[in-house]
Amino acid sequence: MSATARDEALELVPGLVERVDASGRYGLVGSLCPDCGASAFPRAGCCPQCQGTPQRRVVGTAGSLYTYTVVRTRAPFGLPEPYAVGYVDLDESGLRVFGLIDPAAVDALAVGQRMEVGLDRLGVDGGGRPCLRPVFRPERMAADTGVGR
Amino acid sequence: MSTPVYVAGIGSTAFARQPERSLLDLAAEAGRRALADAGLAPSEIGLGAFANALAGKLFGDLTVGQNAFAALGMARLPVVNVENACTSGSTAFYLACLAVRAGEVECAMVIGAEKMCVPQLGLLSSGDSELDTLLGLVTPASFAMRARRHMAEFGTTAAQLAQVSVKNRRHGMLNPLAQFRTEVTVEEVLASPMIADPLTRLQSCPMADGAAALIVCSASMAKRLGARVVVRAATLSTGNYDNPQDMVRWRTDREGAYQAYEQAGIGPEDLDVVECHDAFSIAEILHYEALGLCAPGEGGRLVAAGATALGGRVPVNVSGGLLSRGHPVGATGVEQIVELTRQLRGTAGARQVPGARLGLAHCMGGDRAADTKSMTVAVLAA
Repeated sequence: MSATARDEALELVPGLVERVDASGRYGLVGSLCPDCGASAFPRAGCCPQCQGTPQRRVVGTAGSLYTYTVVRTRAPFGLPEPYAVGYVDLDESGLRVFGLIDPAAVDALAVGQRMEVGLDRLGVDGGGRPCLRPVFRPERMAADTGVGR
Repeated sequence: MSTPVYVAGIGSTAFARQPERSLLDLAAEAGRRALADAGLAPSEIGLGAFANALAGKLFGDLTVGQNAFAALGMARLPVVNVENACTSGSTAFYLACLAVRAGEVECAMVIGAEKMCVPQLGLLSSGDSELDTLLGLVTPASFAMRARRHMAEFGTTAAQLAQVSVKNRRHGMLNPLAQFRTEVTVEEVLASPMIADPLTRLQSCPMADGAAALIVCSASMAKRLGARVVVRAATLSTGNYDNPQDMVRWRTDREGAYQAYEQAGIGPEDLDVVECHDAFSIAEILHYEALGLCAPGEGGRLVAAGATALGGRVPVNVSGGLLSRGHPVGATGVEQIVELTRQLRGTAGARQVPGARLGLAHCMGGDRAADTKSMTVAVLAA
C-alpha cells in the first residue's frame, strides 16, 4: 500500500511521518533551519534558535533506543494495556525523539536496541475514532511492513 | 541575597484525602495558621501570591486566589494567581521574595492549595494537547524512562530505587501531617503493582488534598516579629530543551541548583537538611546528583548507604517527602519551605535534624522535550 489520502485522513496528527521508499519504510518529518542548522521534530514553523524559516525534512527513519518504559496504568486515548513508550536517537539527525513503541514489542525491549519508524493503527483520536499514530518498532526485514496490522 | 528576606510565618493543613473540604477551606486554614504563627494582622500583608495547578482543569475555577485571600479578610490586597505545575507553590514563594527584596512591600503572603482527590482527575500529563501527551506520555512514564536509563548507565538497582520509598516512608511516620505514616520494606515496595516499569506504586507519590502558607518579610519587620529564618536564595529556572537531552545528567536541574548555591554563597557540603521533589523514587536519586550531594550516577548507592536518612550525612526529605505526604500539586512547593523553616527553628519534633542551620528546598514541574519546564530552589538559614 502506498501513501494514500485515506492514510492521511486516519492520522491522529497528519504530516508527522511519510513513506520514504516503496518497501514501506517510514521517516519522521521534521525540519532543518538553513540559517543556523538546527533540526527539529515535530516540524518547526519558525526556528526557536534563530527565528529563521526551517525547511521540511525527514529527520530520521531508524535509530537506537535510548530508554523506554512499559506503562501499566489505565491507558489514555484507547491505547492498549500495557503500552510502551521510549526515546530513540535518530541516525540521520541525531535528534532524541519520544514516541510510542509497537505494542507487539513490549516484552522484548532493551536499551540500545535498533528501532525503525512505523505508522500503526493505535488508539483513538479526541472523538473516539480509531486512528494511526507514529511508532517505533524493532528494526526488521522490510518485507512484512504494513499499515494497520 | 542583596536585601535580606525573612520567613515570618508558616502554616499547613494535613495532607490527605479530604473529600469533605473545599479548596477554599483548605487554603484559608493554612493562611490563618501562618498569620497566627507570624503574629500579623491581615491588614499588614502587602501582597498575596496564590498557587494552584488544577482547579481550572478539575472544577473550571479561575482566579481562586482572590477568593482565598478574601476569606482571610484581605479583600483589597493585590493578589496574583500562580500556575507552574509542581513548582506553582515555590514559584509563588519566589515572586513574594522578589516583591519584598525590591522594597515594594514589607511582607507578602504565599498560599499553595490543591484539591485533587476527585473522580474527574484522570491521568496527569504536562498538557492535554501536547504531541507527547497524544503519543502516550503520562507523568510516571517520564520518570520511569529516566530510571531505566539510570539503571543501564550506572548499574542502579531496583532495590536501590525502592530504598528511597523505604527511607521517606520511615520519615513520614514522624510527621503528623503526612498522609502515609506506616513503614514499608524494600520487598513490599518492589511487590506493589507496577505503574511504569521499573517504577511501582509505592515508588510513586500519592494524590492528596492540602494547603500550606508562608509569610515573607523585610529585615525591619523580621526584627519586630522576632523572625530569624532568612532566605539566602530563591531561584526559578526553565528548561533548556536542548536535543539530545541527557536524561540522567539533568543539566537544567544541575544549573538551577548551582545558581542557588552561588546566590547563597554556599556549596552542597554546607547543607544540613534538604527537601527535594521525590514525586518518584528515581527523581530523588537524580536530584541528589544534580544538587551535588554525590557524584553523577552515585545516587542509588548514596541512599542505600543511609547517607540521606535522618541521622545520616545529609538528611533528605525528613518530612517524608511527597512519597509520604502526598502531592497536592499547588501546595507541595510551599510545604517544602514550611518544613525547612520548622527544621531551622528547631521545632520539627521527632524528625528534627539536630542543630540544623542551613537547608535547601528543591522543586520541579512540567515536562517538555525530555527536560523539565520549571525548577525552583530555596536556600534558608537559621
